Amino acid sequence: MKKLSLIFFALLLIGLLAACGPQRSEEGTNNENDANTADDSANTADSGNEEGAMPDKPEKLTVWMNDQESQLNAIEATAKQYTEETGIEIEIKGMAMLDMVEKLDLDGPSGNGPDIFYQPHDRIGDLVVRGLADPINLGDAADQYTDTAINAVTYDEEIWGVPNVVETYALYYNKDIVGDEAPATMEDINAIMSEYTNKSNDEYGFLAEANNFYYMYPYFAGNGGYVFANENGVYDPQDIGLANEGSVKGAELIQSWFNDGYLPKEITADIQNGLFKDGKVATIINGPWMMKEYEEALGDSLGAAPLPLLDNGENPKSFVGVKTYMLSYYSENKEWATDFMKYLTNSEQAMNYFKTAGEMPARKDALDDPAIADDQLVSAFAEQATYGEPMPSIPQMQQVWDPMNAALQFIAKGDNVEDVLTEAVGTIKDNIAASGQ
Amino acid sequence: MNKNERKKTQQHNPTLAIVLSILFAGLGQSYNRRFIKGTILIIVEAAFLITMYDFINIGLWGIVTLGTIPRVDHSIILLIQGIIAVLVLAFAIGLYIFNIIDAKRDAEKLRDGEKIPTLMDSMKNTYDKGFPYMLVIPGLFMLVFVVILPLLFMVSLAFTDYNLYNSPPRNLLNWVGFENFTKLLESGIWKDTFFSVFTWTIVWTVVATTLQIALGLLLALLVNDKRIKFKRTIRTVLILPWAVPAFVSILIFSALFNSEFGAINRDILGPIGLAVPWMSDPFWAKMALILIQTWLGFPFVFALFTGVLQSIPGDMYEAADIDGASRFQKFKNITFPFVLFATAPLLIMQYAGNFNNFNIIYLFNEGGPAVRGQNAGGTDILISWVYKLTFDTNNYNMAAAITIIMGVIVSAFAFYQFRKTASFKEEGNL
Repeated sequence: MKKLSLIFFALLLIGLLAACGPQRSEEGTNNENDANTADDSANTADSGNEEGAMPDKPEKLTVWMNDQESQLNAIEATAKQYTEETGIEIEIKGMAMLDMVEKLDLDGPSGNGPDIFYQPHDRIGDLVVRGLADPINLGDAADQYTDTAINAVTYDEEIWGVPNVVETYALYYNKDIVGDEAPATMEDINAIMSEYTNKSNDEYGFLAEANNFYYMYPYFAGNGGYVFANENGVYDPQDIGLANEGSVKGAELIQSWFNDGYLPKEITADIQNGLFKDGKVATIINGPWMMKEYEEALGDSLGAAPLPLLDNGENPKSFVGVKTYMLSYYSENKEWATDFMKYLTNSEQAMNYFKTAGEMPARKDALDDPAIADDQLVSAFAEQATYGEPMPSIPQMQQVWDPMNAALQFIAKGDNVEDVLTEAVGTIKDNIAASGQ
Repeated sequence: MNKNERKKTQQHNPTLAIVLSILFAGLGQSYNRRFIKGTILIIVEAAFLITMYDFINIGLWGIVTLGTIPRVDHSIILLIQGIIAVLVLAFAIGLYIFNIIDAKRDAEKLRDGEKIPTLMDSMKNTYDKGFPYMLVIPGLFMLVFVVILPLLFMVSLAFTDYNLYNSPPRNLLNWVGFENFTKLLESGIWKDTFFSVFTWTIVWTVVATTLQIALGLLLALLVNDKRIKFKRTIRTVLILPWAVPAFVSILIFSALFNSEFGAINRDILGPIGLAVPWMSDPFWAKMALILIQTWLGFPFVFALFTGVLQSIPGDMYEAADIDGASRFQKFKNITFPFVLFATAPLLIMQYAGNFNNFNIIYLFNEGGPAVRGQNAGGTDILISWVYKLTFDTNNYNMAAAITIIMGVIVSAFAFYQFRKTASFKEEGNL
């Protein structure tokens, strides 16, 4: 009896689970599916007549902006003007850029996400793979942004962001040591290094985070190296050029700084910034984000210049980062969101943003604006940005940093450059394969 | 009349009661003529089916398929809903089984002609016997959602193909069985790294923890010696490393150990002509980490032992003195067993804590220096490697797989602590 009832119970339970599970779910998905296709067709219809009439104005647009105060102030001022002109309310929420992706992942599907969010361009590939962003139709406006910026936000032949800010590093120098004339070539730098470096006194002719691939890439790229081969805006993650002839040449240059004893091996950002601010360093590679701090410490002695020319006469190609407004896949007002993004980066508002937040606009006309062209420090970075290359935005780039930083440590130690780089490229390829692509 | 009623009840059939209560909770009880209880159970089951049916249905379907249409189904959300559904279902099945057993028991009693307690009686009975359970249940319920749910979620991830290129909402996840674990143990780059990281994790745990315990014990013994004066001051000084937040000390140590700009090489070792590559050589980086951890960890052990030492009865030593025991014999046979007996669980947890000591590894050198031909840095322990896998390279599935292995090891520590340690046995009779 007991056994019988047990079997009966088990059968009942199985029946319960088997009977209703799939059946109900089919209904569920069918309904949702219908809704979705309806949604999709609405979307395509909308994007179809984008050039024509705009759809009805939404009541408000939501924007997630980086939570730095100056940047929030800048965008809030612009938003106010936009509301006055169009009547569309803009809700701005401050949030760290890295947190946005995770929040969007959950808030987007549930309908609480923003229309517009703000990201560094090198995350675009990741966002596209996850399906959180939507391509943007910039129309004619695309010509107004610098080529580097447009290249940066292009992924798979579509534009995924409206470039707001361009950022790259360049050479700061201490005029008290170097003189008013900025070093223009690597030969000049070599001369300064050999003349001024005195390790026991903590004095250095030239400092850079030489164990950080981000800052060392210009010497690879300037000699003919590349991270991923790029053809017409499409990266090929199988073709890695970090162990080719040019890369080896660049890495040997970096190694020579260590071999000659000009660069300390265990340099960290804190240490090098401290030394430079103490006036003990002649030249240093760093980004515009350090400008204020350096200026406070060195005053008028601070100078900035594009990275010195390599021995082959080429400009080192620094990594350029573009901070960009992006369109959420889940936005229901894509046309007006795009309109607002264009408004945010038009020539007047871009200069307003520069004046409030202090970051370089990604527009061609901004370079000629007196506020930038006449500022010796800012214009140096603006000039370097035109020589630079955007960081690859494909997700595979994430697998490059660690092995390359490790390779730079081995190079600093004096290992054979070619072996180290070949090994690093092998690791990158393995990691890309192991990460599921 | 009495006889009549007895006969009538003897025809009462427990099997029928069981079958009825399986068909729908409460039917069996109604058959047993326990109408109030029966009605309550019927209402409970009906309410459960009406309110939770959809949720559980979608949840179970979701956890099995992880969604069928990308963009519409969000695998992660389905997975979480599925786990909740399973938990709720397990709870409901528990109640259901209880209902069947209850129907059977009552029916048997009825058949045998025993008096069945009324609802009021049984409620009073439950209240008397089950009161502690009632107090515990809300806590247990919270625990299920705060601890067990995330744990199950993490465990489930290890059996999916969740990584950067396959992440929702655009893509759906799939169950891949033990593929992540086999990959970890078989494919070249993962295997080499895993084993070298794993061995260092074990060495690190054993050496660093043992050293900090040994140093703590030694200092506690010294300070506890009768001949020492200014005990309170010395104790305060020795506890200081504990008073500074560990991450501050670690960051400062990391600056001190910098081989070109740090004070240790410049001001301490420099004058005697030594320059140790603390940060750039894996061996010396490991040494530095063990030294720092010993410094950070001994105050806790010291405080612990000091307390225990003061509670050892003095007459034990007096008796030993009379028997002519040497100093070492007294330590070996009285002090050491006494101290260890009282503190063993906490000491074991020290080992478990160091096994997962992310702070010191990551803050000191981010797991570096790099090692050629390896996926992790020279001082990476499992937890810091998992961190890098998750946040630098978005390998969620592999990270979850390694986390499970770590979880098993740490729970082995905890299990051992609660099962074998004498101090718990004495008290709770576990």
